[in-house]
Amino acid sequence: MDLLIQIIFGLLSALVIGAAMMVVTVRNVIHAALWLIASFFGVAALYLLLEAEFIAVVQVLVYVGAISILILFAIMLTRSNEGDRLLTKYWWASALIALGLFGVAFLPTFTGTTWNMPQPTGPAGTPEVLSGVEELGRGFVSEFVLHFEIAGVLLTVALIGAIVIAFEERSRRRRVLTLAEELELRKRRQAAESVD
Amino acid sequence: MYDVINHLINTVFGLGWPSWAISLIAYLLVATILFLVAPFQMLFLTYFERRAIAQMQDRIGPNRVGPQGLFQPVADGVKMFTKEDIVPDAADKWVHLIGPCVVVAPTMFMFAVLPWGPGMVPLDMNIGLLFFFAISSVSAVGLMASGWASNNKFALLGAMRAVAQMVSYEIPAVLSLLAIVLVTGSLSIVDLIHQQAGLFISSADVPGIPDLGLGWFVFTPVGFLAFIAFFIAALAEGERTPFDIPEADSEIVAGYMTEYSGMKFGLFYLAQYVLNFLLCAITAIIFFGGWQGPGVGWLYAQAITPTNPDGNGLFNVLAGMLGVFYFLAKTYFFFFVMVWVRGAYARLRIDQLMDFGWKFLIPLTLVNVISAAIWVGLTKWGAAEGLAFVEGWAPLMRWGVAFVITLLLNIAAYIFLARVYSQAQDERARLDNEVLERLTNVA
Amino acid sequence: MDIQRGNIIVMDRRRGKLRAGQGLLQGLKVVWDHWIGSFRKNENFSQIHGTFTIEYPDERMKLPQAYRNMPVLIYDDETGHELCTACYQCARACPPEVIHITQAKDPNTGKMVPASLEFIIEYDACMSCGLCAEACPFDAIKMDHFFELATDDRMGLLQRKADLNRPISYYTTIAPDLWDEVKEGAMKKLQGSIKRRPGVIGIAGHLSDKIAARRRELEAEAAAAPPAPADAAPAAPAGKLSPEEKAAKLAAMRAAKAGGAAPAAEAPAPAPELSPADAKAAKLAAIKAANAAKKAAEASAAEAPAAPVDEKAAKLAAIRAANAAKAAAAEAPAAPVDEKAAKLAAIRAANAAKAAAAEAPAAPVDEKAAKLAAIRAANAAKKKSE
Repeated sequence: MDLLIQIIFGLLSALVIGAAMMVVTVRNVIHAALWLIASFFGVAALYLLLEAEFIAVVQVLVYVGAISILILFAIMLTRSNEGDRLLTKYWWASALIALGLFGVAFLPTFTGTTWNMPQPTGPAGTPEVLSGVEELGRGFVSEFVLHFEIAGVLLTVALIGAIVIAFEERSRRRRVLTLAEELELRKRRQAAESVD
Repeated sequence: MYDVINHLINTVFGLGWPSWAISLIAYLLVATILFLVAPFQMLFLTYFERRAIAQMQDRIGPNRVGPQGLFQPVADGVKMFTKEDIVPDAADKWVHLIGPCVVVAPTMFMFAVLPWGPGMVPLDMNIGLLFFFAISSVSAVGLMASGWASNNKFALLGAMRAVAQMVSYEIPAVLSLLAIVLVTGSLSIVDLIHQQAGLFISSADVPGIPDLGLGWFVFTPVGFLAFIAFFIAALAEGERTPFDIPEADSEIVAGYMTEYSGMKFGLFYLAQYVLNFLLCAITAIIFFGGWQGPGVGWLYAQAITPTNPDGNGLFNVLAGMLGVFYFLAKTYFFFFVMVWVRGAYARLRIDQLMDFGWKFLIPLTLVNVISAAIWVGLTKWGAAEGLAFVEGWAPLMRWGVAFVITLLLNIAAYIFLARVYSQAQDERARLDNEVLERLTNVA
Repeated sequence: MDIQRGNIIVMDRRRGKLRAGQGLLQGLKVVWDHWIGSFRKNENFSQIHGTFTIEYPDERMKLPQAYRNMPVLIYDDETGHELCTACYQCARACPPEVIHITQAKDPNTGKMVPASLEFIIEYDACMSCGLCAEACPFDAIKMDHFFELATDDRMGLLQRKADLNRPISYYTTIAPDLWDEVKEGAMKKLQGSIKRRPGVIGIAGHLSDKIAARRRELEAEAAAAPPAPADAAPAAPAGKLSPEEKAAKLAAMRAAKAGGAAPAAEAPAPAPELSPADAKAAKLAAIKAANAAKKAAEASAAEAPAAPVDEKAAKLAAIRAANAAKAAAAEAPAAPVDEKAAKLAAIRAANAAKAAAAEAPAAPVDEKAAKLAAIRAANAAKKKSE
């Protein structure tokens, strides 16, 4: 059973890493976005392997269902730079920084310490399920209420900002008449001319 | 299924296979059954829809292939299979290919948590409902990919519309479900059904109500409003007629399916009808008790269950059959309603769709969530949660008070929003008129 | 709900009033009523509920009398005479110009006769406008109700007179009132044109019994009158002759008579120079006719077991026709009359063959052979006229 899990984990990790590699190497931006979605899926499957069903499902719902769609929309609605050279002449600097960050992340592993965090302890009587819905909910409204609120306010601000931008854009744009309005306009003009 | 396979392999044949192999076989078997059931549902639904819509239009519909035209979908399927698969030269070949697959796959996944009868659920996840809707949102990616890869302006427009519509209407759908989840306190679909026993009043709210399997959520004000909002959102998610903007054939050929032919087109078709079936099924499950109905509860109580291991196997079969019958009857009824709506209404414009979703449905479902909170407070809470004054009331009294308050709240919210919405429309017409006057200098 | 055509229904949008979805429910109600009603059949199309579908191959809609699809020619049941007088009004009215008419001539006098010799409508290009039927002063061309014309043979849509002829009794079944309106005038005009038609000209070609009856009548008249001058043709053995045999004999007789009478022809046209080509063409026509007759006879033999008599008769007729033609060719000074007569003979032979074919029921092979013969005869005639 453990071996099976190991094999599945290996395959999923390969999927996630491979897809992530494709995201940064592929020329076509849309392809990159699609590979990103594949990577998200792999991550969701990894969560599932950790028996964190809720997180996995939310990963699919939010990242695959919404964020990636937003990315796709953003790519399609902006000018495409397909074929541009993605590597600048300072690519080695970025590579160094990335490697350094990677190394920092792996430092505890290299030095032999583990990542183990203390298990979350819920109220008495609640089952010890990692990231169950209920623990998450309770955490949001008790322990992490400030973070939760800040995130909410941030999102609201972003929403209002988007609305403001859209409104300005619309008011600046010349109004395009529908066919019915065009006809009505012509009729009125004719009526005005006949009066004159 | 696991027990049956285990019994068959390890007891009857005495092979002594490990449990993971048994699990694998059991899941494969269930998955195979579901993969067979899904296309058959689609075949039947296409036939059903064509006959029903024809009758609504005073026609007869397909009635020449087989008895009453029952084999018409088979003939269509054969046609679909034998058609040439055309990929446009300018298309992105691989994305063009995986588009339909990505659209179909989630609909098949969604069957995994769908309970067909008492104890007949492939996978009883404790977050089944969330899983269902999370997975359904994945098909938007497939739509986007296929629309983009076709390299056709109609396809891209259709895909954009489809995705915008799906993303927008997911919010009212999930919000209306949230109200139900608040009431039940569980995200498990099986729990949801079990809580709908009773007779017009759920036995979860008032203990001691006779169990006729009719304690559906739709009989409560919260559930009813959630049902209306959810069904409208389901119509939009399933791209059914008043909201079939993504494939509006009079405007943008066939939307994202424009450049598809043969079996790839068939896959889109399959995905659409299976999704419609699933949406009808989930409507029946959440608001109309799924397999709940008179007799099922009693039969299932006599059957072999984890809580009742020495029951009678015959009752398992009987309860299962009756439950599946109720479930499918409800599901097909909702599909009929979808067809009915298709027969009655014209297609909305994209801006009307967005207006309706964002300015009417979402506020309405938000109010409904508040109603649900009031409902839960009045029927389930007590002094521990700070509502000491309800402690002394009889359960029926609590239920009645909750019913009246949420009913009033929901009706008020509906009328208020309808008024605002219609005033907004009038205001818009007036503004248009004013703009015209300003442009023409003629009153 | 009573909606009159041409009326504009103004929808009252009732702006400002709160409807709260009532309109949507009303819409659902309408559709529901239609759905419930659709389990009944809508019998008379007066109510708006119920299934309207007519399952076409199984059941058919009753077509209105004035329905028009393709033009056909009308002939009288009793006498077998066609109403058409070859006045060319329809050909002139036809917008796509698909009507082609040849007027019949009196073989004795060479004068035009109020009857058509051939009448062709190209159904493939016909647009069913009905202008021919409108234009026809003799009510001879009418619009048929038959509409299942689909075929894989385009030339089969070139309809000749034999394909176009329909009896009045048929037309009265499809449009009794329309016929009643014009009946009197049409029949009167028909009587007028019958009087001006010599011999069997103007009788629908496939009505061999009518032709035979008419011929007997003529013979009786001839017997009553002073004996006819031309009886040069070898008398056929008296007895029971089949109609086609008779027709073949007639063709032979005509050919012979024409050949013999050529020098004494009262044609006003001056006799042209001796033209061996003409003679050759005449011979050719005769041979072709003979071949056609033979073929038709063979076909009918294949069809009907009791056909040897027919075959023999046809062969005999063909041989006679050939002989006569030969004789005609031998009679050196070939006049245009001669030519025409030969043509006529060929056509007659073809008709006879066709009639023989028509005799055998359900014999497409025969029909084809007959058509072939007719086409050959026509070709020969054309070549000749050239």
